[in-house]
Amino acid sequence: MNYFPDEVIEHIFDFVTKQRDRNAVSLVCKSWCRIERFSRERVVIGNCYAISAERVIARFPGLKSLTLKGKPHFADFNLVPQGWGGSVDPWIEALAESRVGLEELRLKRMVVSDECLDLLSRSFLNFKSLVLVSCEGFTTDGLAAIAANCRFLRELDLQENEIDDHRGHWLSCFPDSCTSLVSLNFACLKGEINLAALVRLVARSPNLKVLRVNRAVPPDTLQKVLMQAPQLVDLGTGSYVLDPDSESYSKLKATILKCKSIKSLSGFLEVAPRSLPAFYPICLTLTSLNLSYAPGVHGSDLIKLIRQCGRLQRLWILDCIGDKGLAVVASTCKELQELRVFPSDPFGVGHAAVTEEGLVAISAGCPKLHSLLYFCQQMTNAALITVAKNCPNFIRFRLCILDPTKPDPVTMQPLDEGFGAIVQACKKLRRLSMSGLLTDQVFLYIGMYAEQLEMLSIAFAGDSDKGMLYVLNGCKKMRKLEIRDSPFGDGALLKDVGKYETMRSLWMSSCEVTLGGCKTLAMNMPGLNVEIINENDQMEFIIDDEQKVEKMYVYRTLVGPREDKPEFVWTL
Amino acid sequence: MGLRAAAHSSSSSIDSSNHPDPDLDGLLPKPSGSSSSSSLSHKINGGSNSRNSRRSTHTRTDLSTDLRLGLSISPSHHSDLSSTTSSPREEALVSWPPIKSILRSTLSGKSENYHHQNSSLFVKVYMEGIPIGRKLNLFAHDGYDALITTLSLMFKTTILCPDNNHVHSEKYYVLTYEDQEGDWMLVGDVPWEIFLTTVKRLKITRADRC
Repeated sequence: MNYFPDEVIEHIFDFVTKQRDRNAVSLVCKSWCRIERFSRERVVIGNCYAISAERVIARFPGLKSLTLKGKPHFADFNLVPQGWGGSVDPWIEALAESRVGLEELRLKRMVVSDECLDLLSRSFLNFKSLVLVSCEGFTTDGLAAIAANCRFLRELDLQENEIDDHRGHWLSCFPDSCTSLVSLNFACLKGEINLAALVRLVARSPNLKVLRVNRAVPPDTLQKVLMQAPQLVDLGTGSYVLDPDSESYSKLKATILKCKSIKSLSGFLEVAPRSLPAFYPICLTLTSLNLSYAPGVHGSDLIKLIRQCGRLQRLWILDCIGDKGLAVVASTCKELQELRVFPSDPFGVGHAAVTEEGLVAISAGCPKLHSLLYFCQQMTNAALITVAKNCPNFIRFRLCILDPTKPDPVTMQPLDEGFGAIVQACKKLRRLSMSGLLTDQVFLYIGMYAEQLEMLSIAFAGDSDKGMLYVLNGCKKMRKLEIRDSPFGDGALLKDVGKYETMRSLWMSSCEVTLGGCKTLAMNMPGLNVEIINENDQMEFIIDDEQKVEKMYVYRTLVGPREDKPEFVWTL
Repeated sequence: MGLRAAAHSSSSSIDSSNHPDPDLDGLLPKPSGSSSSSSLSHKINGGSNSRNSRRSTHTRTDLSTDLRLGLSISPSHHSDLSSTTSSPREEALVSWPPIKSILRSTLSGKSENYHHQNSSLFVKVYMEGIPIGRKLNLFAHDGYDALITTLSLMFKTTILCPDNNHVHSEKYYVLTYEDQEGDWMLVGDVPWEIFLTTVKRLKITRADRC
């Protein structure tokens, strides 16, 4: 079958980088499968329970980069109890025992222990990159092991993790011989760090491009760090509280002028807004700005800052920018591709922070917008229809109205038509999450039009099983479906059980699904794990199949029920 | 030989934007072409309930889950969760709006409106037929159950829970509240946290009025 020697085919496969494409290549014939698997270096496992570490290692012995995701997405919002699972330890142990020369590990929503960080740091001589997103279970002791033992470490990227900060000297554990750092992000750490050690580390890292510090790093240290690293491309400040009339401020301002490469700015975890102008010179070249952790910057200062950022492609801000501020964004940031507006006051009495007006302005001014996450007080159908017309290129559209069942305040109608317009116009839409008053009708539209949809998040929506069925029948590319507080039951769940094998996972919580329904699903589909999370009742007392299940998580797997379930999780 | 360098976005995110590919297509068995066509017999929950009562059922179930969430978390995990004085229980209660815990705790430290353990929200409570009202601290309660229990004791009467079927009779009472827009609403439809932001005062009215 092969007209070329294996080496030539392997070289051709080098150009096939996307996992989806490599998977396709490996299905062509046995010899291509063999060549492909020995040459595959990067593997992404979207659900760590879908496969075992041993099988991954056996198939891809040349593995260098592994990405693993653990808990379901709704775990981000406290819907998955502590102890549910998602531990990376068995993976690290298996990899350490094997001959895999792991160089990069990227984890999302997993439980990581100090012990396994230590094992990781000692087992792979060439380990270069550790990226942890929304993980938990470890402390700064684990970081110390990574710092001390990974001699060629290039990247340590900690994004939004819950880390127990022992206020140790983990930063000082980087040996003097470590000069390879390219990316260091410890913004989520809550404790003190050794400031002098930080400055020395930066000074001996000529390749450092990304540096995001935590709250414990004051402006003085920031200035010293920037002096050592004017080549930085991505900067996250720590605490930025200083007096604009002070000498420290002038010094910092002068140093910032030397940092001509900064394209991405974030941080400002504490901030004195009057001192923000020191960063204006950088704003001209900024492509990414993240102020979502800076509640100290109020609307007017935000607006002044953003007026400087004409080249912005990505903007993450808090809703205190207001509709007027979003209008400024719309007129200034013509290159904007991704916008996230977070609620600055999740429990506050809503003084309309942002509404549909801001979104309409953005859609009119930023034609390249393709990714949106928008928390707002209200939304109208008319606005959504306009947005759909202005921006037909959405790939990700996530709208969260703070009052989850709020109708269109002008017409008092559900928002079915608005979201319907979005899915109809945006033919490339892959991810959608909705809120507001929504009936089965919106799901009819989704099933009809959202042909590329891969991930859908539903909360407090729909009237009957029909809603869920429209989606399951219509969205052929659906991979992740997560539903909470919606009236979908066994009828919808069981209509087409084969569908779930074409998807990565299904989450349903506070819906109408019963224990009997889940049991039926599990019985008919051995290739799925049907997990029930039930904290209220003891197992012995649940004999009633009519009982509604609190939380159900269904996912396809090649390795059967998992062994590490806590007592409140049952696999049926 | 080192890992072939791939273009690294500076924020190195591991979300679906960078990895839109399905997991291990090559490994998984081909899904069966035809779905399980025979409808599996079971008792289907009729979708004929009014949405409001269904919603309040979901809300209450979710709230009781969240309450237990709070109780089952070990203190050590939450020792660093937030720099505010909010208790681990209050932290754990919140699943709406859907933002990450770490962002929530950052913002709650700064938000003036966030209710710390020390603060209170006293609202007036009247019972139909009784001219003198009482006052009640809503922040001292962690959900609708607790609220109704307290009020039942305070007014020595039976107040129906929002998820029971309404009994239209003179004997029973229901709990209503006035919201920020001046409308009188039945208590229990929205998540507790949202209720706290919109409630102005409470009234215990006869069930046959609703």
